[in-house]
Amino acid sequence: MSAEMANEIKLISGRSHPDLSDKIAKRLGIEVARTISLNYSNQETSFTVGESVRDEDVFVMQSTATGDVNEGLMELLIIISACRTASARRITAVIPNFPYARQDKKDKSRAPISARLVANMLQTAGANHIVTVDLHASQVRSHLRGRDGFFNIPVDNLYAEPSFLRYIRENFDPEDCVIVSPDAGGAKRATSIADHLNTAFALIHKERPRPNVVGRMVLVGSVADKVAILVDDMADTCGTLVKAAAVLKENGAKSVLALVTHGILSGKAIETLNGSVLSALVVTNTVPLGDKVERCPKIRVIDISPTIAEAIRRTHNGESVSYLFTHAPV
Amino acid sequence: MVRNIVILGGNSHPKLVESVCSSLGLPACNRILGRFECGESRCEIKDSVRGKDVYIIQTGFGGNGAKLNDHFMDLCIMISACKTGSARRVTAVLPLFPYSRQPDLPYTKSGAPLYKADTQSSKKDYTFDSVPPTPGPGLPKSASLANGADITNRLLKASLTNGNGPASPLSNGNGKSNGEAYFPTTNGTTGANGTRENTSPTTQVAHFTTHDDYVNLSVVSAFQARPGYKQWVAQAGTLVANLLTCAGADHVITMDLHDPQVQGFFDVPVDNLYGRPLLQRYIQQNIPNYKDAVIISPDAGGAKRATAIADSMGVDFALIHKERRPTRITERQNASMILVGDVSDRVCILLDDIVDTANTITRAAKLLKKEGATKIYALLTHGVFSGDAVSRINASALDKVVVTNSVPQAEHKAQLGSKLDVLDISPIFAEAIRRVHHGESISVLFNQD
Repeated sequence: MSAEMANEIKLISGRSHPDLSDKIAKRLGIEVARTISLNYSNQETSFTVGESVRDEDVFVMQSTATGDVNEGLMELLIIISACRTASARRITAVIPNFPYARQDKKDKSRAPISARLVANMLQTAGANHIVTVDLHASQVRSHLRGRDGFFNIPVDNLYAEPSFLRYIRENFDPEDCVIVSPDAGGAKRATSIADHLNTAFALIHKERPRPNVVGRMVLVGSVADKVAILVDDMADTCGTLVKAAAVLKENGAKSVLALVTHGILSGKAIETLNGSVLSALVVTNTVPLGDKVERCPKIRVIDISPTIAEAIRRTHNGESVSYLFTHAPV
Repeated sequence: MVRNIVILGGNSHPKLVESVCSSLGLPACNRILGRFECGESRCEIKDSVRGKDVYIIQTGFGGNGAKLNDHFMDLCIMISACKTGSARRVTAVLPLFPYSRQPDLPYTKSGAPLYKADTQSSKKDYTFDSVPPTPGPGLPKSASLANGADITNRLLKASLTNGNGPASPLSNGNGKSNGEAYFPTTNGTTGANGTRENTSPTTQVAHFTTHDDYVNLSVVSAFQARPGYKQWVAQAGTLVANLLTCAGADHVITMDLHDPQVQGFFDVPVDNLYGRPLLQRYIQQNIPNYKDAVIISPDAGGAKRATAIADSMGVDFALIHKERRPTRITERQNASMILVGDVSDRVCILLDDIVDTANTITRAAKLLKKEGATKIYALLTHGVFSGDAVSRINASALDKVVVTNSVPQAEHKAQLGSKLDVLDISPIFAEAIRRVHHGESISVLFNQD
């Protein structure tokens, strides 16, 4: 570590996911910085800084709480901007679940590319670096990954895959499993897991007439007498997952479970899950789950904080982060 | 009918959009604007905007089922959608500019924040004697208490009068029987001289009238700045300006900016319209013998605004000076407000740009009544009326509150009844939009009377 490096990690937590921030802080052996965010009665967000961030390496942890995405985003932007005003040396936004990641293309006339807007806003506010987990769209990622993305600043996209691999190895016999991608877009993610485990792979093709509505589904591949493991990056209303699970059951799967990075679980997701043939939904804690775990006994949670904490540590010390793409710290 | 112009309305103030559109004689742009179930904004613009001059109307006010930040994000997303939809120019029309008031923390000379939370339990039974807390986050306090013996005494006193004993942090009606007093309680005391043990169980019931965030009360009370560091509040005005520009706004139209400096935050042109002609006309038409009235600015910051109207109408002017000096605990906070000028036996017209929690104007009204004013009007451009503002005004000495419809007023009108008069600003905005579109001067709008 050179003398020019910032001297200390300052972890600032937004209001959306204090639990994850605490875990990361504990893992790093530091305290979450003394700051506080509130809403005035006119609903404007206010952020108070209670300790110096001058010349520090600031990490702002903010996930997006389901239903309150814009609140969380504005708060994050205000925090970043405040830290820049307070002369932080470097500001890294740690956004485990990147907001608006799905609105990444102009799929209709005059549809906004909101993901790019969020990327621009983060840069405008003063973020120097982004750390996120399993970004939905590769476009959002930066040049640094060798692509033209929305960001002009480095983005470290961490993967939940190593954690998932460990979970499967610990709980199932890989020989007995089939990894299933619930849509064509996720085929790459699913094949990667299948390759690492050396198991079979299947794919479900779906038609999507309107957002949040799932059309007809067709299974490509065989899942008969196997444990079918659905792999996806996001479980929102869970319509896709549950229908896919039903298709897999129809095709003779022994049991069906789903491994999903971001458990957004909005709307009637919990009811949908409880009434489904899915035996378990395994999510990471990138999104605050609240009471959903109590309301749905099928949900299992993998703690992602070791990976994020390690990424923060490595970023701070100027070490390579790529080790984390294949290994999950225990 | 104006050609090549698209008026796009946000969800914050549909009525204003409607009346601006009817003034201009064109329909509002067809759009879908809502929320996905996960909470992300969803926006689709149905009509073509290619090569058009787009005006997006969204006021900085949380309501209509969404929060202020939702509305702001909607605005940014709409701007960005129009930009990617090849609009020739996108103008953001923000009748009330969000985050334009830059909150500050008032400090005593010793460095401790001058916070006073009242201990009133119910939101409804406000008398105009009640002292609302100064806006600011959760009564934190600087840890440098070396010279803060005064504070310690206050805290001890506060905890005693509140009745010692374990109280649930979230219960608001914590055995506060003597409603006549308002002993300031302070939250999140640092461990100076053991005051924390004494005060923390009872002081957590402090009632934050200026904050919505009651949920994390424990977090709020636990907050304390690192010793030796003077905490400060982030000021988001510049950020909001930058975000609008970053989303793609080419032009901004707003009204009566609290801080004229906000105009300088932008790299794009900002037209700051004035509500002054409207308020002036109201005075001339609705206040009998207005020539004998006194125009009052409730604080020094608004003096310029108030003198401008007073001068142009040839009316007397007075000023209320807010002293932020530490006062003795038993002293009413009103004692720190000083009237400069004479109002006895006269009609008073309070002028300000914004009424939010209505703290300033109700206190000013009380002072004016005490000084002998016969009737008190309050004329304000933006009527936000957040928190307990409505009950506070109902209990106050104000005879009439006049605001514009820069934010939706239907709800406030229902609550305040005949005490509230609403002036319509849509003609001003429609005319401004028309003039901007045709490249005509809008400075004419500033001088009309």
